[in-house]
Amino acid sequence: MNLTPSQWAALLPLLLPALGGCLIPLMALDKDQATVKWIRAVMYWTALLAVGATFWYLTDLWVTGSQPSFFQLRMDRLAQFTGIFVVVAAAMTILQSWDHFHQEGWVKGETLSLLLFSVTGMMLFAATTHFVVLFLGLELFSIPLYALVGTVRARSESAEGGMKYFLTGAVASSCFLMGGVLIYGLSGTLDLATAAITLRSQGLALDPMVLAGAALLLLGFLFKVSAVPFHQWTPDAYEASPHPIAGFMSVATKGVAFIALLRIFPGSLAPLGAVGVKMQSVVAVLAVATLIIGNLTALVQTNVKRMLAYSSISHAGYLMLAFVAGTSAAYNGMLYYLVIYLAMNMGAFGLLTAFGLVGEKTTFDDLRGLGWKRPAMGISAAIFMLSLAGIPPMGGFYGKYMIFRELVGTGHVGMAILGVLASLVSAYYYLRFLVALFLQAPSAEAERLASDRPAVHAPFAGATVLVAAGIVLAGGFLQTFLSDGFTRRALLESLGLIR
Amino acid sequence: MTWLNSHPLTFLVFAPTILGLVILVLPHTLGRLSRMLGFLGALAFFVLSLSWLLGHHGGALALSERTPWFTLVGLPVDYALSVDGLNLWLVLLTTFLVPLTMLGTWNSLKDRIGTFAALFLLLETGMLGALMAQDLFFFYLFWEAMLIPMYFMIGVWGGDERRYAANKFFLFTLSGSLLWLVALLYLANKAGGFNPVLMGQAVSLLPFGVQCWLFIAFAVAFAIKVPLFPLHTWLPDAHVQAPTAGSVILAGVLLKLGGYGFIRFAIPMFPGAAMHYAKPLAVLSVIAIIYGALVSMVQRDIKKLVAYSSVSHMGFVMLGLASFTVIGTQGAILQMLNHGISTGALFLLVGMIYDRAHTRMIADFGGVAVKMPVFTAFFFIVTLSSIGLPLTNGFVGEFWILNGTFLSGFNWGRLYACVATSGVLLGAVYMLWMFKRVFWGPENKDEDSGTHHLHSDLNAREVAVMLPIVVLIFWMGIHPKTFVAISEAPVVALLQEAKAPAPRTFVLKPAGHEATATQEGAHAPGTHEAPAEPAVHEVKQ
Repeated sequence: MNLTPSQWAALLPLLLPALGGCLIPLMALDKDQATVKWIRAVMYWTALLAVGATFWYLTDLWVTGSQPSFFQLRMDRLAQFTGIFVVVAAAMTILQSWDHFHQEGWVKGETLSLLLFSVTGMMLFAATTHFVVLFLGLELFSIPLYALVGTVRARSESAEGGMKYFLTGAVASSCFLMGGVLIYGLSGTLDLATAAITLRSQGLALDPMVLAGAALLLLGFLFKVSAVPFHQWTPDAYEASPHPIAGFMSVATKGVAFIALLRIFPGSLAPLGAVGVKMQSVVAVLAVATLIIGNLTALVQTNVKRMLAYSSISHAGYLMLAFVAGTSAAYNGMLYYLVIYLAMNMGAFGLLTAFGLVGEKTTFDDLRGLGWKRPAMGISAAIFMLSLAGIPPMGGFYGKYMIFRELVGTGHVGMAILGVLASLVSAYYYLRFLVALFLQAPSAEAERLASDRPAVHAPFAGATVLVAAGIVLAGGFLQTFLSDGFTRRALLESLGLIR
Repeated sequence: MTWLNSHPLTFLVFAPTILGLVILVLPHTLGRLSRMLGFLGALAFFVLSLSWLLGHHGGALALSERTPWFTLVGLPVDYALSVDGLNLWLVLLTTFLVPLTMLGTWNSLKDRIGTFAALFLLLETGMLGALMAQDLFFFYLFWEAMLIPMYFMIGVWGGDERRYAANKFFLFTLSGSLLWLVALLYLANKAGGFNPVLMGQAVSLLPFGVQCWLFIAFAVAFAIKVPLFPLHTWLPDAHVQAPTAGSVILAGVLLKLGGYGFIRFAIPMFPGAAMHYAKPLAVLSVIAIIYGALVSMVQRDIKKLVAYSSVSHMGFVMLGLASFTVIGTQGAILQMLNHGISTGALFLLVGMIYDRAHTRMIADFGGVAVKMPVFTAFFFIVTLSSIGLPLTNGFVGEFWILNGTFLSGFNWGRLYACVATSGVLLGAVYMLWMFKRVFWGPENKDEDSGTHHLHSDLNAREVAVMLPIVVLIFWMGIHPKTFVAISEAPVVALLQEAKAPAPRTFVLKPAGHEATATQEGAHAPGTHEAPAEPAVHEVKQ
């Protein structure tokens, strides 16, 4: 089969990380102690190179403005945006995991390989409206993540969390598959965009089967974004997984699932008007539940990772509010929110690595007084937490601002009030993080233990934290650049997406 | 220099941040240098603000900068700063209090003094920005950003309950402003931007019920900051736990922003709704005056007493605003300045005695006058100013407010003025009673008592801090016109815009202020309460 250059261009962003993912296991074979150090370094470099090349290629596509496609795989602006988003998250994850796995004493090559396959799957997932390709992408990014959650086999919780995530994830995937099958069965086509038009022309738009299909598809997405009531896996999976992987899951999975949801529901299925409206009300109800349950549960956590897990659930709630508003400006706000969310959540999880908290030692008490010992990390932590809480002038505020503005503009004032109340509640638990870092002195016991241990050395994680803090601040001061130059173009130039 | 000439306000607002960030990156070991740098910088900003703002304003001319900043989701946000009659003196009060407080609490803190100075300067940016911002989004940014340094100032350097107090302060204020944000967004959607003038026009087209809800959202956000009676509970905690410098700035400037928000935004934008809710606001203010005073009376901790007296004093400010008379509003503006000076000074003095005795309990003192005569003299002057003795600043503000309330066109004016006057009396009771127990009487000979630990009177630095305050106390008491002349025109315009019922005239003309003369147009009847309709009620006399 001969591929045209344009088809190659569409494929290349997926091929690069996949190639990296294939190469790394070859190096990961057991070696003697003398060479293993070098092998590790080469593996990490390979992973970074694959991710970096993808980033470079995607930005090149973005700058030139070409939107190549390969059959059902369309590398349009939105897909390029997703690609850049995922690749940046992956790069931060790789850098952080170098430090984290050394702290844990568990440096394995397959981790990186799985991560790169997951990256490939994510890009595929957000770049198509064809159901089979979509499902392929979903599984390609999910299955490596199931394995990644349980990657530190030395910890028993790790396997538990991985298994939980796998079982629930498998059920959600099969529901998603069933949904697609129902729609295919009625419309006779696998491309969701075509299917919607066919169904409408046949007058089947409100057929219960179509509704059921759409609802099952929605379930699949909502599981991935960890919306209530499909959120139960989140805290366990995050707690089980290594910090960088938890960060990657919280950011990339959620982001990609939201972008794909955007492509399918308001995008492809738009011709089925009534279905969209029904799904919108479902999303509205679940968004309310997500905001309430996510925030209230986060209040009582003592483990930072579980707190961040519930916080990521609550952020799914804010992002879902964009679908409730359902205007293109709201979706723009959602993408903007995702960009900032990438920085602040990768940063927050990176902090755990940078502070050298390993294994189970991730309670608020373990953070005490660290902000003063590591001022740069402390200030970054303040930036992340205030941004997560949505306090200006941090970037997180603008994400919420754009979404709430559209909610109010479309007449959902009650939802907006609920949203701000939720972020008021969230401010409390984000402040707890800062209270531990700055306002509490470490206990004498902790001081003694800390003086016995060697100083934490996590240069790469620290660097990613600083970069993330820079992005969050940039989100607070360069709103127009980010919004008009990046997120808005991703939306508007991937045509047919917005009603 | 040309840039500076055209952007003096930008410089005043953001220079403290830049200096603060520079100080923040200095190593911990250079704390003393950082403190000195912070103080000199703040002093320089004060001098610059004096020379620029007072030099420029000649007449009604206001300094302003306005340029489009960004447009997000279709709503333009302006970078708009200005200094005019309503905020000139509050801006100067801020730039004045910051270096003064730094000097006054020079040795109060022992650790991380550099970081504290840096946060202080960041806070100055927040306060100045909020005072000058003329775009509601821009204002909101500063309003919220201000919380961050204050949170850390209370939380890191505060007393034993500092974490609780800091969280309470942060969440309380945030709750009001988040709900306000929704109202702001609603209004911005209607007006197509955050310009207060455009928003005001959009408001006048909305149904009255919606206007009232929006006004309530604005009023609650501002009232929390003031703090008005049922929303004041964060204040005593924050004040008592905050380090001296934090308390001074909290009382001196942050609370003012609440009152200022009413004058600048809530009342001009919602004249109808504001008039509609004048009575509830006045009721709450009167309750705050009396309740704050009564609670002050039973405090054992001097700092807590001063904190509750703030509730009482700020109640006067709100009463003055609710009276909707020129003299009452002018009194409220003056009272805000007074309270900033007097209560700020009280907190400084309490800090000075605390640094020596390490206690603030009234019962631990007694006979301080013998040991610290200079301190006693200063404390006495400030006490009298806080009580509102004639010739001091407190008197003028409270008198104008009560006068305005008494004369206001609302039928409740006279009754409330009479009730509120008892607040002045109670003020004298709690302040003088405290003063008597702490300073007069036999020296407390107990080994553990506070008095026993007072070994030195004020040093030159502390005297240098108190002297300008004392000068201001008398200046404002004897010639208040310096401080309110410039706000008269905007206030008159504001009240005309609000269609406030004209003040009642009595045989005795309201003395001391010619402003009421401009209001002698229509004399509305006393029963006229809520002119929601734009029609002016002309009544034959």
